[in-house]
Amino acid sequence: MFYYLLKRAASLFLVLVGLAILIFVIARIVPGDPARIALGPLASAEQVAQMREQMGLDLPFHTQLWNYLVGLTHGDFGKSLLTSRPVSADIMQALPATLELVLFTIVIQIVLSIPLGVLAAIYRDTWVDNVSRIISLIGVVTPGFVLAIILQLMASYVFTFFPVTGRLDGGLDFSADVTGLLLIDSILAGRPDVFGDAFMHLILPATALAAAGIGQVMRITRSSMIELSGRDFVEASRAYGVPERVVTFKYILRLACVAPLTILGLEFASLIGNAFIVEFVFSWPGIASYGVRTILQKDLNAVIGVVLVSGLFFVIANLVIDILLGILDPRHRLREGASK
Amino acid sequence: MMTTTPILDIDKLNISFSTYGHKSHTLFDVSMTINEGERVALIGQSGSGKTVTMRTIIGTLPMPPATIESGSIKYKGKELLSLSKRERDGLKGAGISIILQDPLLSFNPVLTIGKQMDDIVRFADIRYGQNRSADARKKHIIETLAKVQLADGAQIMGSYPMMLSGGMRQRVLIAMALLNKPKLLIADEPGTALDVTTQQEILDLLNALVRDEGLSLLLITHNLGVVREMADRVYVMERGHIVETGTLEEVFSAPKHPYTIKLMEAVPPLYGSRVRDIENKADKNTEIKISNISKTFVRRGGLLNRPIGEVQAVKNVSLEINRGDIFGIAGESGSGKTTLAKMLLGLYGPTSGDIQFNGKSLNELRGTVEFRKLVQIVYQNPGSSLNPKRTIADQLAVPLHFTGYDKAQIKGRVAQLLDMVDLPAHYASMYPHELSGGQKQRVAIARALSVEPEILVLDEPTSALDVLVQNTVIELLHRLREELNLTYVFISHDLSLMRNFCNKIAVMFRGEMCELGATKDVFANPQHNYTQALISSIPVISAEEENLKPKLTKQERAAVLATSTALGK
Repeated sequence: MFYYLLKRAASLFLVLVGLAILIFVIARIVPGDPARIALGPLASAEQVAQMREQMGLDLPFHTQLWNYLVGLTHGDFGKSLLTSRPVSADIMQALPATLELVLFTIVIQIVLSIPLGVLAAIYRDTWVDNVSRIISLIGVVTPGFVLAIILQLMASYVFTFFPVTGRLDGGLDFSADVTGLLLIDSILAGRPDVFGDAFMHLILPATALAAAGIGQVMRITRSSMIELSGRDFVEASRAYGVPERVVTFKYILRLACVAPLTILGLEFASLIGNAFIVEFVFSWPGIASYGVRTILQKDLNAVIGVVLVSGLFFVIANLVIDILLGILDPRHRLREGASK
Repeated sequence: MMTTTPILDIDKLNISFSTYGHKSHTLFDVSMTINEGERVALIGQSGSGKTVTMRTIIGTLPMPPATIESGSIKYKGKELLSLSKRERDGLKGAGISIILQDPLLSFNPVLTIGKQMDDIVRFADIRYGQNRSADARKKHIIETLAKVQLADGAQIMGSYPMMLSGGMRQRVLIAMALLNKPKLLIADEPGTALDVTTQQEILDLLNALVRDEGLSLLLITHNLGVVREMADRVYVMERGHIVETGTLEEVFSAPKHPYTIKLMEAVPPLYGSRVRDIENKADKNTEIKISNISKTFVRRGGLLNRPIGEVQAVKNVSLEINRGDIFGIAGESGSGKTTLAKMLLGLYGPTSGDIQFNGKSLNELRGTVEFRKLVQIVYQNPGSSLNPKRTIADQLAVPLHFTGYDKAQIKGRVAQLLDMVDLPAHYASMYPHELSGGQKQRVAIARALSVEPEILVLDEPTSALDVLVQNTVIELLHRLREELNLTYVFISHDLSLMRNFCNKIAVMFRGEMCELGATKDVFANPQHNYTQALISSIPVISAEEENLKPKLTKQERAAVLATSTALGK
């Protein structure tokens, strides 16, 4: 298992380094002189040249790249042109909100889609299956932002107990300093009122974000359950007198989770992408709104930083999924470790 | 006179299936009895209804779509079909147990063997109100594993199914079926997924278990050779009807029903008067010359995918194949026969040595159209070698397209090819799933012949087919060879088929060629111990053939065969 993890972690590290180089190169190819943008159209040529020197833009390209990568190793993403603060500080401020939203979304997806998929498989071709099919279709075909707006409208006029913007009610005095995640920090601080309020704030954006994934994962869980229940080993277990409930939940479900988990890992990337729009609708103070602002302003250091951090989380999410798969299906790690 | 209740008594069982509103009758008045301690075989080809019968007995028949129309199944006098679900489940594994065909697929791949076996014992314990501790259960499992001659019980329990060899998995599977001490054991094609030498061990083991544990056995198979070694009484099933029944002696020495007779005749004989000797009447020029060929595969692994070892799949093989030969390459899994075939096709380059076709080296020929027109292949399973989404005509056209035929010519050639393999012309517009297995294999043969090759490599072309269909395909191959003056390289593990199909044969053993000669001579007087062991392991259908098999002592056998009872490295 250790060997398997080491191998996974090593390859993921390489992915990150590759991503950093790639995005740095792209940022330099994009037309427009960052120094000129920073100083505005009225600055003189000398001022721009001085700025370029200050920003290190006059150095040869490979030296710039090297300096940037070295900076990354101690968490230095450079300075933001927009806020004149270190990019890392900006990101640290905005990141927890997005992280909380995305993690909550994933929890909703797992809690809803896998049990629904299992039910649909057990009661195949009955009304249960049909209802789940409709839910999943609606989820898959409705774009996240449409759902976000619909939910917001409904919360404004019908379900008024749902807050429609932000992370936390302005009247509550609370700062999340430990993890930055309100749900966790409020528990640590013993503030149930904050927890409840943060929870209510999360539900709508997370639902809007989760819908597409729920449909997908549910269908995959269902088809994997059905496919597996026709396998020889399932028939063998039944013939040896293992009770149906154990066959379904222990033998079939465990294997059936492999496909949906893999999908969830990939889903993570699109969640961060979709979060841009949902955060916008719900005025969520997350990294997405920061990212959009910096892109529009050609604040290259910040853009690279945002991309790298989302890349990092994508990579971590996949590492977690790989570990889970290794636990669920020992063949994954046995195959890799077999050579040892 | 003593009357005993049979262990299983099936009376006039009728079963139908309804799929999409269409109802089809599958079993017709099937009756069958198995007495205590008796070994009964149910013989039939795929689609005969033997699997449905088996699943009905066990209670795993999915209903719907299946419906039991009428009839009864009594286990020790107790009617199973009216039993409560609870009582019925209580018999599973404990009264009636089963060994499914494929030992790998019968295990849950993600749980250790120990966990799976423990579940079986644990839930039976709960059902019967027993309260054994985990240790006691473990002890019981290890004892049961010892019964199937697996000594490393504890170690096996900690392994995952994929870590065991095929023969060991089959043994563990038998142990699994025996865990709750059933009275009736149903074996579905036991050992057929294994190499013939391992199959022999498994059959011996099953026979010993039935004898020592006082079991009754229901054997479900299409392999008549296995039936002769394993059964006292037989039932022959055809399309849901029992067409013949009797003792093994009666049915095998004097089959009455035409279907049984046909089945018996279709089994390729190993020895005796029915054996067909094949001769090469062609000009006998050397067509393929393999000189000192070797293939080494490098295994990679570790953090950086470094080479960590190598496997010599083929070692210094030299042989010559003449024009018009049906050259058999025999061997079990892992013997290197497939690697050798792939090198013949130019799919693998040899690590050392050379292959010459009509005097030209493979190195020059590889990748040329000329070479593609020289050698073609027919794969084992036509179900997967044909593209399910394209019509037969489309598939036959692919090789033609690449060898310079234009559209008009292709159409004519496709019709010609279908005619060549005895398929009606209108099959051109059909899709593979509309064809039977034998018909699909004919299409695969037609596709290989489309570019008019001189040499066909046949990779177990009949092993996925029923024995009756197998013979028609073999006849077709014989006819095509004469008409088109072809050379065949026939790769197989089925020695009895090779005895009747090949004029020359080479036996591969752990990458080396251990025997080479005219088929007739090799079978009459096999030189290498391994060849002897291989031939003697083949289940045959008459005592006459049994007596003509080479005899080996246990020591001689053990010297060439690794037994499947010990854990590997």
